[in-house]
Amino acid sequence: MLARLAAIVGVLLLSGTGPILAADLTPAPKNAKVYIIWPPDGAVIQGGKLWVRMGLRNAGVAPKGVDQPNVGHHHLLVDTDLPPLDEEIPSDRNHLHFGGGQTEARLEDLAPGRHTLQLLLGDNDHTPHDPPIYSERITITVPPY
Amino acid sequence: MIRSIAAALMAMAVCAVAMAEQTPSPPNAYVYIGWPNDGEVLYSGRPFRVWFGLRHMGVAPKGVNMPNTGHHHLIIDSDLPPLDEEIPSDRNHIHFGAGQTETMLELPPGRHTLQLLMADYNHMPHNPPIYSKKITITVK
Repeated sequence: MLARLAAIVGVLLLSGTGPILAADLTPAPKNAKVYIIWPPDGAVIQGGKLWVRMGLRNAGVAPKGVDQPNVGHHHLLVDTDLPPLDEEIPSDRNHLHFGGGQTEARLEDLAPGRHTLQLLLGDNDHTPHDPPIYSERITITVPPY
Repeated sequence: MIRSIAAALMAMAVCAVAMAEQTPSPPNAYVYIGWPNDGEVLYSGRPFRVWFGLRHMGVAPKGVNMPNTGHHHLIIDSDLPPLDEEIPSDRNHIHFGAGQTETMLELPPGRHTLQLLMADYNHMPHNPPIYSKKITITVK
């Protein structure tokens, strides 16, 4: 019995390294909403260079590592679906982190074609809130250049 | 004579400390009012949203001392406050110390001015200060 209990405790402790338990997710601020202020869905972006303006309502922006209630930092998802929402958001060219508390993102190298953009808020650990706070996914088009 | 030189040196030292205490601005940092536009005409009884634009720096709540960050202050119907002191907190100087990047406003009929001023974790403007253009809106 004790051994089994110890095993369970062990599993619980180890699980800190795997997917984050629901209880560990940061609660989402009430009515928090993230949205792309600009560009609008369907925008045509000449040259593939733009500033994406990241909007947030009913919550505040804080750099990564700042563990305070009702804050988060922006992640811009480019040409990808939402990642798993109970894990740390990947950091790569499709998942751009704004851990400095930035509210605008400069994109410089979008190839001609259609691209999707979506925002996902992460907490101090880069993990989505519970429930997750993400924007509508928009599509923009870069004409041949 | 020596005493007055000493006093002058003291004063300079105090001054230098005060200047040194201001957080340096990030290079090229730029704050602006995303909406409303300068000259916008709005209607009374309808609260409107003001969004805060910020480039080349990040937002951090008050009390968070990290380089290249600050938090927004919206100045309504007022000139810039002294730029080497803590920004006042009153109905003309609204602090967004929770890291907010937009707000809802409702103003009485008439002409009003809006301007953004960034401040560091202590509500002190950066050095050099980072503020937006002052815009004028009309509420009918």
